[in-house]
Amino acid sequence: MDSHEPSNRRRPTGYTPEQLQARALARTRRAAMRRRASRIRRSVAALALALFSAAFLGVYAQLASGHDPALSAAARRRTTATASLSAQKTSETAGTSSTASASTESSTSSGTAETSSTPSAVTTSQS
Amino acid sequence: MTATHANILATAVGPHLFWMTSRAAGIAALLLSSLSVCLGLLMGGRLLKRRGPDLRVAHEALSLATLAALLVHGLTLLGDGYLHPSIGDVAVPFLSGYKTIWTSMGIVAFWALLLLGISYYARTRIGAQRWRRLHRFTALAWILGLAHALGEGTDAGQTWFLAMTALATVPAIGLLLARWLGSASNGVIASNPTARLE
Repeated sequence: MDSHEPSNRRRPTGYTPEQLQARALARTRRAAMRRRASRIRRSVAALALALFSAAFLGVYAQLASGHDPALSAAARRRTTATASLSAQKTSETAGTSSTASASTESSTSSGTAETSSTPSAVTTSQS
Repeated sequence: MTATHANILATAVGPHLFWMTSRAAGIAALLLSSLSVCLGLLMGGRLLKRRGPDLRVAHEALSLATLAALLVHGLTLLGDGYLHPSIGDVAVPFLSGYKTIWTSMGIVAFWALLLLGISYYARTRIGAQRWRRLHRFTALAWILGLAHALGEGTDAGQTWFLAMTALATVPAIGLLLARWLGSASNGVIASNPTARLE
């Protein structure tokens, strides 16, 4: 009777030692793969944060130094509008006054000076 | 002196905080998505076949990071005091009055990336082959996003932005072209087997 019992009675798991060894190896490899995957995920998260921080700092530095493209463009538009308005006012004044040419020259130069002013003055206008 | 400078800078930047955050998130999303497209195309090629599992994990993580950056990009715009966009303006194409075409391109690209990205987790239901065919449209969504960045991005005219974008996108575009041209020539060979012998 005993001789007809299956041989795996001595091994409750039902696996041969080779199979057990292979399973252990697979388990180790799976764990290593999982560790590697989580390391890659952490690296990507760190990369994303680093990219965001670098971009934010770049934009911040650009804005703080008065070289922001949007604000500079807004500044140019504003100063151009101011300059043309003052030129229009001057020409109107020149039409009524006899010293027209002198007045126009002085206002044009003030308009140029405004155009070359720093965009920091416009920072408040953007908001 | 330094504290005074910091205070001045904080006062100057304060009103633009949401706008700056959105710009930074947009830049990060562009770089992360370009890297993800590169890895995705490399996974299909023979170049890095042995690193398959690692590439897949990195590709997935980069895609999720891109989606997170895109969410930050869109949601922080809601707090911008200059544009004052509504949720509809940043989520529905052709609703915003600000550079409508470019904005819509970005919105369509976001929804396409989101839907195609999360479809990965339903690929057993969709079917692997069908999902693979569907996943090819991700490249199209990425190109739409790139066009949005170049057409509407505040920094699009800046040399540093163009250089950075070229650095990130040229390899991806090259790999994409190689894939498309490769598929096209494979198609020719498949339809005309004698073409291989010529």
